[in-house]
Amino acid sequence: MSSSFPRRALLKGAALGGLATTGALSGCSSGPPPGTATWSMWSSSPEENRVWADFGRYVERRMHIRSASTLTPSDGYPTKLDLQLVSGTAGMVTALNGWLIPTYASRGAHRPLDDLIAADPDFDLDDFYPAIRSISSFADHTYAIGFDVAPTVLYYNRTLLERNGVDPPSPTEPMSWDTFRDLAIELSKPKDQYGFTCAPTIDDLVSWIYCAGGDVLDGDRDTSPLDAPEALQAIHYVVDLFVKDRVTPPIDNLVAQNASGASLANFLQGNVAFMQNGPWQVLNVRKAPFTWDIVPFPAGPAGSTPRVSGSGFAIPSGVKDDDLDLAWRLLKTLTSTGALNIYARAGRNNPARVSAASAFEPPPANLGIVQRILKGEVAGGHPFNVTTNWNRVRLLLGQDLPRAFLGQVSAREAIDGVMPRLNALMRQHRDAVRQAT
Amino acid sequence: MAVETPAAATAAPRRPPRGPLRRPRFWRHGSETVAAWLFLLPSLAGFLVFTAGPVVAAGVISLLDWNLFSPPHFIGLDNFARLGPDTTFWSALGNTAYFTFVSVPLTLLVSLGLALLLNQGLRRMAVFRSLLLLPYATITVAVAFVWVWLYIPHDGLINAVLGAFGIDGPAWLVSDDWAMPALILMSVWKSFGFGMVIFLAGLQVIPQQLYEAARVDGASPWRTFRAVTLPLLSPSVFFTVVTSIIGSFQVFDQALVMTDGGPGSSTTTLVMYIYRTGFQNYEQGYAAAQSMVLFAFIVVITAAQFLLQRRLVHYDL
Repeated sequence: MSSSFPRRALLKGAALGGLATTGALSGCSSGPPPGTATWSMWSSSPEENRVWADFGRYVERRMHIRSASTLTPSDGYPTKLDLQLVSGTAGMVTALNGWLIPTYASRGAHRPLDDLIAADPDFDLDDFYPAIRSISSFADHTYAIGFDVAPTVLYYNRTLLERNGVDPPSPTEPMSWDTFRDLAIELSKPKDQYGFTCAPTIDDLVSWIYCAGGDVLDGDRDTSPLDAPEALQAIHYVVDLFVKDRVTPPIDNLVAQNASGASLANFLQGNVAFMQNGPWQVLNVRKAPFTWDIVPFPAGPAGSTPRVSGSGFAIPSGVKDDDLDLAWRLLKTLTSTGALNIYARAGRNNPARVSAASAFEPPPANLGIVQRILKGEVAGGHPFNVTTNWNRVRLLLGQDLPRAFLGQVSAREAIDGVMPRLNALMRQHRDAVRQAT
Repeated sequence: MAVETPAAATAAPRRPPRGPLRRPRFWRHGSETVAAWLFLLPSLAGFLVFTAGPVVAAGVISLLDWNLFSPPHFIGLDNFARLGPDTTFWSALGNTAYFTFVSVPLTLLVSLGLALLLNQGLRRMAVFRSLLLLPYATITVAVAFVWVWLYIPHDGLINAVLGAFGIDGPAWLVSDDWAMPALILMSVWKSFGFGMVIFLAGLQVIPQQLYEAARVDGASPWRTFRAVTLPLLSPSVFFTVVTSIIGSFQVFDQALVMTDGGPGSSTTTLVMYIYRTGFQNYEQGYAAAQSMVLFAFIVVITAAQFLLQRRLVHYDL
């Protein structure tokens, strides 16, 4: 027996089926079940993914509940987090890079943790390095609990130095700026070999500014001290390394140079003697096909006081009631000594807790200087102080400073050009702080 | 006594009478109309939710001071008032206009040239057509990354080729003078395939008799192109110009990947500035106001093109 299926009926069926499918899909919800420990984190490599997977297992083992992490590549993490926070779909605990903490805190996106800390006698905030406690605070309130903290250091290509008959720098005594410059020039002599690499951005430049005794922001004034003699001296010094001394790889692309891994890519090619970067790159530099190590950042007029950066976990303001209790327990677990030992053993970065610091083990041989710098035993550091509108400061300087690094304008011209707009942002920052307090 | 005639008995209406009592067309063709609406509904719903809705929402948000996290405040037209003294906004608009008014004519010329070439009856035309359409079919971000490598001043392919002719190529993407032309060049390469396909389709429906008549009349190739090809291709040109200008005013991804708006703000486009205002500076209201201005620009330019269409576009000879 044959049956006919009219075309019109088929089309009607298809239309109704399409509508039904659309309706069914729009009604679906893919969120984790209630009681799940949800947390957000950036992750840009398989190595990092493994670390966070280990964290997830650690959470499940310690808390006896399901852990659900949302991992996002670091470049897109802030935007995704913004949308999650606004839509109420963010995890109950979210990772925050230290430079974003004032931004979120001043806008009320995350809650202060002081009441939770005070009500929890088991939680020992003193086990965290002072630098990360400073970075995680805004307006005298703690907004995050750190999971890593580290000063900027100087990586060097030991193979390249040996090939050029240069002794490795001291792991305890920072080089002076003059010594560093001479060495960088000496190591740049062969074609396509360079003495130094860093990104032509404020995030890298700020370490030199701190070492010169300068700063980008001054909380007591309406104006930025970026045009003060100390800051200008540092900017001139670094710009000269690019333009006058020509010890750096040529800047081919501003986007790549702005990316955090650009100087790393230069260094990993094996023809760069020194790289300015943090110990958070140890995991990646271990892939280098040459021997290398780290030493303290070169000492300027104010000593070796590069930027100390860190990251922490925070709780969004929308987390309340029972979820808040779970969020606090999750946050404590994610920043516990056990979890940070996982983090440090993987070589991801120096952990924020003193009690977990020993897990961040060599290679390289000098890795111990990271903890010694944080303890003040070797060289020093300066917490990375940022504004509540650091995105805008970063964007402004990121657009105008590269012209100096490219030799299109002088360092002085570049700074003079941005100062009016920079000062306007400083006033906006001061107003935001005043409103938040 | 009135007797009902057989004719009267058989005249009883089988359908409702014409006039006010007649069922409307919708019901007369009910099942077909319902089916049509069912098919249209997903598309219509998508348009309302993802196009018309956001435009209306942007209009409302443009009247607010809203940083995403705190409750919004109504501030009337203050966000629009901020646009006047915002030099970066006008600079971004200028960059976008520069990009549009250079890249669109260039793209059209390349597209038309290739379409005319392919229309000559080349063998394996489908292969050439597919190959030439590949750049358009490729994701912009991927294409942009490849062009970043091509543009590298010291080791890039473009400067290597220029060097072979004794030309010292510029530092393309980091040069004040060359960054925007470099973006335009990449965009022309990326986009010409779309126009080429439209033009090719237009060329292939032009009646051959017209060309034969022109040949009999002794018209030169250029005269034939001007008098026959171009007028009959004008609807295709019009469509391509309108869509290209709208697309160019919304240029974003290639500029973000290749130059990040730099050096300085020489390649910062309006959509890039809107994105930064909204999602990096957390000024949703101000970003929405900028979006509305961009929307107005596009509407005005498109309306002007439709007005010009009456004089310049020919749908028959």
